[in-house]
Amino acid sequence: MSNVVVLDNGGGLMKAGIGGERDPTAVVPNCTARPLSSKKWLVADQLLSPTEDLTSATLRRPFDRGHLTNPDLQSTLWAHIFANLLKIAPSQCSLLLTEPLFTLPSIQRSVDELVFEEFNFKALFVADSPSLVHLYEASRRPYGLVSKAQCSLVVDSGFSFTHAAPVFQNFTLNYGVKRLDLGGKALTNYLKELVSYRSVNVMDESFIIDDVKEKLCFVSLDVDRDLQIARRRGKTNLFRCAYVLPDGITHTRGYVKDPEEAKRYMGLDDGASLDSLEKDETDRADIIGKPEDRRTIDLSKNEFSMTNERFIVPEMLFRPADLGMNQAGLAECIVRAVNSCHPYLHPILYQSIILTGGSTLFPRFSERLERELRPLVPDVYEVKISSQEDPILGVWRGGSLLASSPDFETMCVTKAEYEELGSARCRKRFFR
Amino acid sequence: MEEDGSNSIRRMSTRSRKIAPKMAAALASSDNRTQAILARLDALENDNAATEAVQQIDDDDDEVSLDDDDDQVYQKKQSKSTKRKTRQAKALENAKKASRTFLELLHEANLESLPPHVPSYLRAAVGPPSSSSSRHFCTVCGFTANYTCVQCGMRFCSIRCQTIHNDTRCLKFVA
Repeated sequence: MSNVVVLDNGGGLMKAGIGGERDPTAVVPNCTARPLSSKKWLVADQLLSPTEDLTSATLRRPFDRGHLTNPDLQSTLWAHIFANLLKIAPSQCSLLLTEPLFTLPSIQRSVDELVFEEFNFKALFVADSPSLVHLYEASRRPYGLVSKAQCSLVVDSGFSFTHAAPVFQNFTLNYGVKRLDLGGKALTNYLKELVSYRSVNVMDESFIIDDVKEKLCFVSLDVDRDLQIARRRGKTNLFRCAYVLPDGITHTRGYVKDPEEAKRYMGLDDGASLDSLEKDETDRADIIGKPEDRRTIDLSKNEFSMTNERFIVPEMLFRPADLGMNQAGLAECIVRAVNSCHPYLHPILYQSIILTGGSTLFPRFSERLERELRPLVPDVYEVKISSQEDPILGVWRGGSLLASSPDFETMCVTKAEYEELGSARCRKRFFR
Repeated sequence: MEEDGSNSIRRMSTRSRKIAPKMAAALASSDNRTQAILARLDALENDNAATEAVQQIDDDDDEVSLDDDDDQVYQKKQSKSTKRKTRQAKALENAKKASRTFLELLHEANLESLPPHVPSYLRAAVGPPSSSSSRHFCTVCGFTANYTCVQCGMRFCSIRCQTIHNDTRCLKFVA
């Protein structure tokens, strides 16, 4: 029996499990929340139970801007996970922990204290997510380019930020890493802001708006055209879609009013010009009948409809300048990351772009990225973008793979070594 | 004549002084804009900030109610001002206990002092975009916006949206 705990400690979700298994045992939010009605703070998996009413719940996260800033809170969350979900005794196990790139030394020290002094783990290995993603992808396709060239460009768009990180021979080239300070959290907050201004005040409803974002947002392939479509009235507006807020009695979770309606944008052709589309749509509307049916708002239910918000929100990843942010978009971020590596690596890096992280789950994300990237890359290079099979769990699976490798024990820092050498010198072992 | 002339010059100078506050106001208004942008970006990283404040007050109440059991009589005798003081002290204590934000830790780490070839958190940021053009979306309805609010720099697309903007959210992010 393997006794390595693999913990992908993300700002949004914690992925925890036993090394060697395919999927993590627990994928739970990395936060505590307290519903309005109670005085008790709910932890991690308790937030996922369908009976809890999380309307206007107060939230606390141990992470700020992607880095661990509240070790006390993190330790209660970890204790809960280790005891109740994984059912392991930390003093019998080693830990493989992921940490964001460029973690500050002071934060590393507090993590070490947590792992060795509070939980008494036998040994610790700290990994960064791009190298684990690379490891996993390389092992999945032993004859693919990623594993032959031992080189890939991992684009990890997570909860707090987005990294474009070149990986070479299982090591992240940290001089080539470029970071964009936008992630799922900022997008959710942006959507919150938009919906609150335009229809219902949802500023306190992080969980609901997260759900709205995951179910309804998509990446537009042609923003100008889609904005014009979003302006239309009635049935011809392919993007309008209603979301029903929970009422606390019959349903405690919100839901998309009409899933068919939500998927109508999928029918849009790439090349279709606006005129032909318009004609087509008016025809269809005639056949289907009165456009009024769905437009009438049901007053017994609290709902709001979304149109252009659905694609304007993920759009910010590609053009942060629109938000007033002085940062380049994702495509340019990738180009800069590649350009800071050795020229010999450029063609391979462009051919092995791997998308991972929850924010890449927006429909059509990779198509749009390819469209943005192609004009920026010299035309002699091929651009190939592949998404991970499960972008949220990809890092964890890589970690699980690494934990089950025979050399893993020798790579770790043991508790004895930590006590002898201290945090800073132990960290040197992880080459970062 | 000469005196008049000198007077007029004096007047000129007083006039320019009168202009100065206007200039200052103009500068302040441009500052409003950057302030608004920064505050907005900061707001994107918040988790339920509004409820957090309420929650702290709740905590205070809890502690007070615990104290009540011990010395109810004593508390009744206490004047309001001293009660406030203890609350303030508690708030201070809470602030000390509260975890620091990442930006504070970043500032403490003093990454600027590293030599330029060492990759660090600051140098990994992607940096400004190569083209300075940005599309403008109406902050009210979300469509392409051609106009800018003179006060806060937010965008709107039509008179209708402008009135909504002025009524509800102009200078919202400026303290």
